[in-house]
Amino acid sequence: MTSLLRAPGKMAAVQDGSIELDTEKETKPEILSDGSANISGNAGSGVLSSSPPAGGAQKPEDQQTLIAVLQFLRRNKLTESVDILKREAGLSDDQENSKATDAGGKGDGDAGDTNALLSRVSITSAAAPQSAPLPLKSGDDQPDVRVILSAYSQQGEPPLYKVYYSDLKKFIESVLDCHRAELSQLFYPLFVHMYLELVYNNNESEAKAFFDKFSGDQECYYQDDLRVLCGLTKKEHMKGNETLLDFRTSRFVLRISRDSYQLLKRHLQERQNNQIWTIIQEHLYIDIFDGMPRSKSQIDSMSGSLAGEAKREVNKLKVYYGLLKEPEIEVPLDDEDEEAENEEGKPKKKKAKKDSLGSKSKKQDPNAPQQNRIPLPELKDSDKLDKIMYLKESTKRIRLSPENLPSICFYTFLNAYQGLTAVDFTDDSSLLAGGFSDSTVRVWSVTPKKLRRVKSAAELSLIDKESDDVLERIMDEKTASESKVLYGHGGPVYGVSFSPDRNYLLSSSEDGTIRLWSLQTFTCLVGYKGHNYPVWDTQFSPFGYYFVSGGHDRVARLWATDHYQPLRIFAGHLADVTCTRFHPNANYVATGSSDRTVRLWDVLNGNCVRIFTGHKGPIHCLAFSPNGKFLASGATDGRVLLWDIGHGLMIGELKGHTDTIYSLRFSRDGEILASGSMDNTVRLWDAMKAFDDIETDDFTAATGHIHLYDNSQELLLGSYNSKSTSVVHLHFTRRNLLLAAGMYNSQ
Amino acid sequence: MASPKTLPKDAQVMVQILKDMGITDYEPRVINQMLEFTYRYVTTIIEDAKIYSTHAKKSTVDADDIRLAIQCRVDQSFTSPPPRDFLLEVARQKNMTPLPLIKPYTGPRLPPDRYCLTAPNYRLKSLQKKVSSSGGRITVPRLSVGPVSSRPSTPTLGTPSVQTVGTKVGTPVSLTGQRFTVQIPSSQAASVKTATPTTPTVQNVLINPSLIGSKNILITTNMVSQNSSSDSSSLKRKHEDEDDYDAS
Repeated sequence: MTSLLRAPGKMAAVQDGSIELDTEKETKPEILSDGSANISGNAGSGVLSSSPPAGGAQKPEDQQTLIAVLQFLRRNKLTESVDILKREAGLSDDQENSKATDAGGKGDGDAGDTNALLSRVSITSAAAPQSAPLPLKSGDDQPDVRVILSAYSQQGEPPLYKVYYSDLKKFIESVLDCHRAELSQLFYPLFVHMYLELVYNNNESEAKAFFDKFSGDQECYYQDDLRVLCGLTKKEHMKGNETLLDFRTSRFVLRISRDSYQLLKRHLQERQNNQIWTIIQEHLYIDIFDGMPRSKSQIDSMSGSLAGEAKREVNKLKVYYGLLKEPEIEVPLDDEDEEAENEEGKPKKKKAKKDSLGSKSKKQDPNAPQQNRIPLPELKDSDKLDKIMYLKESTKRIRLSPENLPSICFYTFLNAYQGLTAVDFTDDSSLLAGGFSDSTVRVWSVTPKKLRRVKSAAELSLIDKESDDVLERIMDEKTASESKVLYGHGGPVYGVSFSPDRNYLLSSSEDGTIRLWSLQTFTCLVGYKGHNYPVWDTQFSPFGYYFVSGGHDRVARLWATDHYQPLRIFAGHLADVTCTRFHPNANYVATGSSDRTVRLWDVLNGNCVRIFTGHKGPIHCLAFSPNGKFLASGATDGRVLLWDIGHGLMIGELKGHTDTIYSLRFSRDGEILASGSMDNTVRLWDAMKAFDDIETDDFTAATGHIHLYDNSQELLLGSYNSKSTSVVHLHFTRRNLLLAAGMYNSQ
Repeated sequence: MASPKTLPKDAQVMVQILKDMGITDYEPRVINQMLEFTYRYVTTIIEDAKIYSTHAKKSTVDADDIRLAIQCRVDQSFTSPPPRDFLLEVARQKNMTPLPLIKPYTGPRLPPDRYCLTAPNYRLKSLQKKVSSSGGRITVPRLSVGPVSSRPSTPTLGTPSVQTVGTKVGTPVSLTGQRFTVQIPSSQAASVKTATPTTPTVQNVLINPSLIGSKNILITTNMVSQNSSSDSSSLKRKHEDEDDYDAS
């Protein structure tokens, strides 16, 4: 067998590899994979091939794998791991499979390198942190350790790859229509993996030929990825590209119905060279479901992400999407309220009106998290006053509907020299902040009230602290101005966020830091360092104190203002995290990424509880509906997708924009969804109707497949053009007036 | 801009590369920038490779040297984010700790002062009132030269700040014919006299430069003894923007 001949060469490679080994653990899996992959890979194929005679030859190969791994561990003085591995592998070779699953079952406890790797496998499968046996495909008893240990082992001769691929292509084109759409999903991941395999094994010319022949067949929404691949012709190119490395080691998930899967399996296994079958086993995860095969449009709507679709178990975790109960606040009445409409109909004069939002249901909403699930800051007196103002404003709120569209007030940034990169409004719409590519942050006052700084300490000691208007006196009138500039960052500012109590402003920048500015002194208070790469977005939690940030290092971090290090790290995306948003109950964080997925994370334990795929381009904006049940996301493909968080499904697709969507916002009561885009338009969509439709539809919750009707035209309530100003931010005031902000683009 | 036909070969190659990467819309100067970058990068690599090959006592530069040069540069300049399994492991560690409880409100919730940017970034030098026998030296006890910027001083939280007393500026003291001693922080002036603190009061008044003639002016000052615990490193004139404590 060719594998045995190659083994010594690769063993030598292990020796070479370890010399240039860094002390960091993260490179070890790669070296490990380089060294023992071919042995284990072929051992894998030995186990998998249906021909029993190969089974006898397994044992020496498995032994060799173990020996290789042991040698490597010993060489790096990981004696504990060596003992554990020897002890477990000492259970006969037949139980080699159970060893892996046991070790995987151990999960998080050991510090041993191998076990850490295996535990990572259970993490990468993105399910809840149970250490139950790793999900195995039907008919496959090979442990998932191969995922980590697998580099690209040579499956057959390189020139024959074209043959294998065209064979598969012919087969798929010959099956029944209903199966063809599903099996065509295989083309893209197979193509990429085969191409990368050829490149990795230094078969440059074959790789190029392979690429030229088959890249045109792929779906149009993969064109960006293919372009990146086209530039990747040598193994060295692969090293720097983290996204591709992740693609290589994680498994591309496909959802195929059982019938189609049986067809495929039968076809591939009856052939002599079942290299494609091996590749499928190693690099793809096929999530099989029972039921009708999906149609092309259904598949197209869900696919597009870099890691395929989401496994069904991932989206089945319980998510507490309800809102937290509002605290009871005594609302003092004054005379002007008598004119306002009283929805409750209670007598107004003698009693102070209780907070009507919270007292409706005394019982705990089953879908809402406990009040103390995550620690939240208590309400200060100033917060209570804010809440009272909020309630008063909300009584004057305009009810929006398809007949009653909001007015839109557009704030255009002139003379910004293409530099506006981030905008935020305070919740009461009194302040506006802009982040610019010249690293400044500017704050404007939207109301006629000017911005003032607090007096310096010497002057503060002079004022009378007992006077009633002490809060006015501490402000220095001499510094009153319409806008203030905040200097401090070392690179373009990509995200700004006001705190709910309007005391602080956060800004995140390309220099890798997030800065907290005080809006009373207009100076920088803290610089939070953690991301060492550009931070693309940041947002305060709805209750203040916590904030979340996401950046180029592919993680989102949860911080608290009084901790200089993050409290939670949300890792799992395959590419940059471009957008981070808190859920209205502050227990969950949604992140959108360049890998075209939206993930929902639990703040309590950092787990990923939802993965939503379907966008065909990097996601740039997210918006939660005010009732916390739904999420809207917008991306560079110009579509807005609507997601039901509770069920974990896509419930709507809004087509209409022709360019990247940079801002999404629900109106205050959730009836209207506004979207702003680079194509200089603001569009209003009927959110009520979009969400109502799912109540009536009968979807199969088991498969999670829903047939989406293209009702974008019905849901579009209005499209408003600006002359040449792309819309960067949208904000509904408390009375449901829509504010938009953008930069004038003179070209 | 020169039409593609008359562009130099390098520029034509660059245009082609941009097209291959899918970039169709760019300003003409982009090509020049890209070419400059390419030239700089390639010469750096080749120079490094020459050094490596002479170190290995080879007569010519070969592919291995280039490979090594690229490898070293990549680790230095073009770092990439950490790999996924490392991030997952770090995340797992971090997410295991429960969220810390929030203390009741005791002021703005900020990290310890060490990690904030709220400390003053200057220090006023404390001086001793010198009783000098040599004539002609008049001590004006109410003048000092601090950072003479017009920026208001940052009100620091919890740390004693410079007390400013509203003394009238521009005391009509005729300075001609007299010698005044001006004490200013070392970073600013050439001649510095350091002194120890004596009296506990501080005065901070902007000097009207028009009052100062071209003569040698020396003005001694009295300064309060500051809490010098945080000042040891802030003697150097630092801009507010830079991080004092953690070198980035």
